[in-house]
Amino acid sequence: MKKSLKVIGKPTPKLDGHLRVSGKAVYGHDISLPNMLYGAILRAQYPCAKIKAIDVSKAAKLPGVVCVITADDVDVAHMSHKRDHPVLKKGEVNCIRDEIAAVAASTKEIARKALRLIEVEYEVREGIFDPADALQEDAPGINKYARGDEGKNIAQTFHYEHGDIEEQKAKSTCIVKRRYVLPRVTHCCLETSVVTADYSQSDGRLTLYSSTQVPFLYQRDMARVLKMDPSNIRVVQPVIGGGFGSKLDMYPFEPICALLSMTCGQPVQIAFSREEEFVASPTRQAMVIDLTTGADAEGRFTFREVEITKDNGAYTSWGATTSFVMMQTFSSLYHAPACVFDARAVYTNNPYAGSFRGYGNPQSTFALERNIDLMAEELAMDRAAIRLVNANYKGEKTGQGLEYATCGHKDALDTVIAKSDYTRKKREYKDAPSARYKRAMGFASMLHVAGGAKIYRSDGCGTTVKLDNFGHLIIITGSSEIGQGSETVLAMMACEELGIDMSKIKVINTDTDIKPWDVGVHASRTSFVAGNSLLGAIGRLKDKISPWAARYLKTDIEDLDYDNGEIGCKTSGRSVKIDKVVRELHFQDPNVLCMESYYYEPASDFQDAGYKGNVSGAYAFASQAIEVEVDTYTGQVKVLDVYVGQDVGRVLNPLGLMGQIEGGVVMGMGYALTEELVVAKGQVVNPTFHNYKIPSACDIPEIHFYPIETHDQAGPYGAKGVGEAPLIPTPAAIANAVSNALGVEINALPMTPENVLKAIKDRP
Amino acid sequence: MNFDLVSPTTTEDLLRAIDEHRGRRFRFGAGYTDLLLDLEEQQDNELTVINLARLNDPSFTSIVHDGGEMRIGALVTASRIIADRKLQSRYPVLCQAAGQHGSRQIRHTATVGGNLCTASPAGDMACALVALRARCDILPARGDARSLAVSDFFLGVRETDLKEDEVLRRVIIPTDDGEVKTHSDFIKIGKRRSMECAVVSIAYHIESDGDDTMTRAGIAIGSVAPTIKYARSACEYLVGKRLSSLGPSERDEFAAKVVEYASPISDIRASAWYREDVLFNMSKSILENH
Ligand SMILES: Cc1cc2nc3c(=O)[nH]c(=O)nc-3n(C[C@H](O)[C@H](O)[C@H](O)COP(=O)(O)OP(=O)(O)OC[C@H]3O[C@@H](n4cnc5c(N)ncnc54)[C@H](O)[C@@H]3O)c2cc1C
Repeated sequence: MKKSLKVIGKPTPKLDGHLRVSGKAVYGHDISLPNMLYGAILRAQYPCAKIKAIDVSKAAKLPGVVCVITADDVDVAHMSHKRDHPVLKKGEVNCIRDEIAAVAASTKEIARKALRLIEVEYEVREGIFDPADALQEDAPGINKYARGDEGKNIAQTFHYEHGDIEEQKAKSTCIVKRRYVLPRVTHCCLETSVVTADYSQSDGRLTLYSSTQVPFLYQRDMARVLKMDPSNIRVVQPVIGGGFGSKLDMYPFEPICALLSMTCGQPVQIAFSREEEFVASPTRQAMVIDLTTGADAEGRFTFREVEITKDNGAYTSWGATTSFVMMQTFSSLYHAPACVFDARAVYTNNPYAGSFRGYGNPQSTFALERNIDLMAEELAMDRAAIRLVNANYKGEKTGQGLEYATCGHKDALDTVIAKSDYTRKKREYKDAPSARYKRAMGFASMLHVAGGAKIYRSDGCGTTVKLDNFGHLIIITGSSEIGQGSETVLAMMACEELGIDMSKIKVINTDTDIKPWDVGVHASRTSFVAGNSLLGAIGRLKDKISPWAARYLKTDIEDLDYDNGEIGCKTSGRSVKIDKVVRELHFQDPNVLCMESYYYEPASDFQDAGYKGNVSGAYAFASQAIEVEVDTYTGQVKVLDVYVGQDVGRVLNPLGLMGQIEGGVVMGMGYALTEELVVAKGQVVNPTFHNYKIPSACDIPEIHFYPIETHDQAGPYGAKGVGEAPLIPTPAAIANAVSNALGVEINALPMTPENVLKAIKDRP
Repeated sequence: MNFDLVSPTTTEDLLRAIDEHRGRRFRFGAGYTDLLLDLEEQQDNELTVINLARLNDPSFTSIVHDGGEMRIGALVTASRIIADRKLQSRYPVLCQAAGQHGSRQIRHTATVGGNLCTASPAGDMACALVALRARCDILPARGDARSLAVSDFFLGVRETDLKEDEVLRRVIIPTDDGEVKTHSDFIKIGKRRSMECAVVSIAYHIESDGDDTMTRAGIAIGSVAPTIKYARSACEYLVGKRLSSLGPSERDEFAAKVVEYASPISDIRASAWYREDVLFNMSKSILENH
């Protein structure tokens, strides 16, 4: 894999960059179809209430309103993998997001006005907003569709264990037990949620212009809810203005939009306002983690005992399943001889979570890395040293059965320790006179799947490549672009293999009627899975082209070189234009079509009932060292420098990679320092950018990135997934830095100035 | 969003437009950075916006330094305040406040007049103007202009002393041209470093003579009371003292005097105790870094 490459590894601007910066890209909000109507949704006024009556008659009579629907008007199945989520709510509401009625009208303004004319009579009930209250014996059942086989008000549980906890406890010199409290944050996609549904009453076909990250699962889920044949649903993905995991679930507004279109026989678009986005789009899971960990006298980790209670909200989303990923952190980040893990997602009348970049891993990493710092303190060990002692290594098979064919964990740690000048700075901080401003460094590492995650029946991706008579290549991939730059990376791979210029390569990836199956864009999987799939298809294409070219150039296939739009002979120097080869193949007798398909499935395993097995084709490791300065007068935390060492397998596109690293770190900083969706008694208190604070450009520190290249055999050119990793260790590293700087324990997020000042005041 | 718009270009037309709309619903629009948010939910057609942005009268649009005073037109934007050399050297606190206003785009359109008339306790330029003891120059539709101290202009949260038929023409800062040493800053505390609404702010403008003795001190605090407050007794405490001679106990004494003017509330952005603690600490810091 060390062969020198022409394009891979070179900074390459995004294929669609020009469209995005010139405003030409067509996003979901830009879709406009003939006779299109605008939909709007009436949501609950209270997070927990009985609906005594709904009267839509005034709204229906408003000029411009085409239809109004409620649960009584539709025949649909429930949503979510637990089937506990009605599309339109009937008889009662259990969450402030609850959809009670929907309107389609000729303008947005009329649709909104119509909502105000719908009269709903409520009987307000006392809601349950704390999972601990929901678990009380006398608590009422919150979701009446819950199966309840795991206990009342429990949506989902996970139990995992390996090793002998008692034996490891006996070996432990220090045992640290702490509780960590993690808030709700939300994705803040620049583009608010939007869908356009176009149902044809004449042939029963439905086209959805959707920003979903999982078009084929979406097609399946939508069909189940609407009781349709999935193949009658076509999903078209316009340019997506931000995913970050938020579009992994299907949400009620989407089937509602389809239902409006089916009722009216006209296309309907539903687009959220920013306030609606804050109230009704998913969040990261709020949770409480109780973690006990041990280490022996040399600082070697012994065991981990974990209990997690997640606030599930009123309905179950993929959010409840983040335990899959969280247990990997506890079982397999740093060498861990024993681990027992229990998690439960508990129904409340709060807004429900969804999936969010990192999928539980920022939370689990926060807890684990805080405990590691506390253990180091107790053992009087250096915080970097304790991590190096326990770092994961190549060839390790973890207690959970993850197999690290390559592993850059120790390299990543060594790199950030050296580059951050930690050893010198540590002395400097110690000698610094006590002053208003305190500085310190914090470390954290992370482990994440980086070669897909085998959770569905297939974790694969299909690709078709089509070479045309003029030497242009079309890549039809099952994978999706959500701004991460996958189109560009795929085109780079094709350019590398076929020697066709980037400007002659197109990527088609937005239409379920055309593209082959792919499980979706998540789990940092696209470059790895879609990349391997593309390389498979190109291999087949070359198997068709190369024999002809070799004959023509009077040489062997091994002697051919694809470069510069030509196929050349390395020894004779003769060459033939690739388009000529295609024309010859297309028009010869018998005709040969220059189009090939390939289905790639990562060589990973399904986990067994105990969640054991090698679930991914590769694993990413990263370490961050973050230096902060805390103002003890205000509690403000200034992040000075972020050092990122990340095992990326191999750098494919340095520009795209840097975008992921910087974006991830900044997202992690927001989670760490300023962001929180505040929910009080079931109501979202801060549904605006005015009061929900994402970091601004002025808050962004210098981000120093050091890719660690471990050349994983399983990945395309040795590459691994990179997308989620950079966010995962950031909150933990910042919390460690702030705790070190102040000599306090920061065990909850966000570290707002107020929370930090409070920690200073409460310091014993 | 639905409203009628009139755009007078002369003061005469402006006053006539105000007069004509007497008794009807109308609002002034200057840079619209506050107004647009207010109007978002505006449905009916019964509102007129009197657009000030086209006005050509220099008394509304320019910064004039004229012997004993500095006159800043209500329509002067934050960006122009920042760029004004005379303000930078004589009253830097106003430039420092304007420099922390929202983002570059917002500073380009937000006006001083709008900042005052919005009467937010978190108004940044307004806070600096209170510290500078500026006066408002107010024009009624009919009759003579009147003048009022900025601190008296604010009556409550989003409430000013402007009558229905009055418009703010400019603010005036009294000046003397002597050589002074200025110690000033605008301290704005929030969760992030830009695009932020203060949870505590302090504007201070302290002048000292050649001997380092403080001759004039203006301190205003924002976001800790229903209106921006002028911390008079804290200002008086400083005058006549030497900045460099103040020790820790005097700094604390001074800070305690500032805090007396605060009556903070707890809201989504910060708790009352936080506002009060930080106000104390930051007041202290004024006397530490000079
Ligand atoms: C993104 C964003 C960030 C912001 N950041 C800050 C910040 O950091 N600090 C801060 O202080 N503010 C901030 N603001 C608020 C706003 O920008 C300021 O209050 C600004 O100074 C208002 O000026 P304007 O010209 O835009 O006023 P407008 O919106 O045009 O008017 C505001 C109010 O004043 C009235 N009015 C305007 N001019 C006159 C006049 N001459 N006579 C009588 N009444 C008048 C209007 O009728 C209206 O009620 C921000 C706003 C936004 C949208």
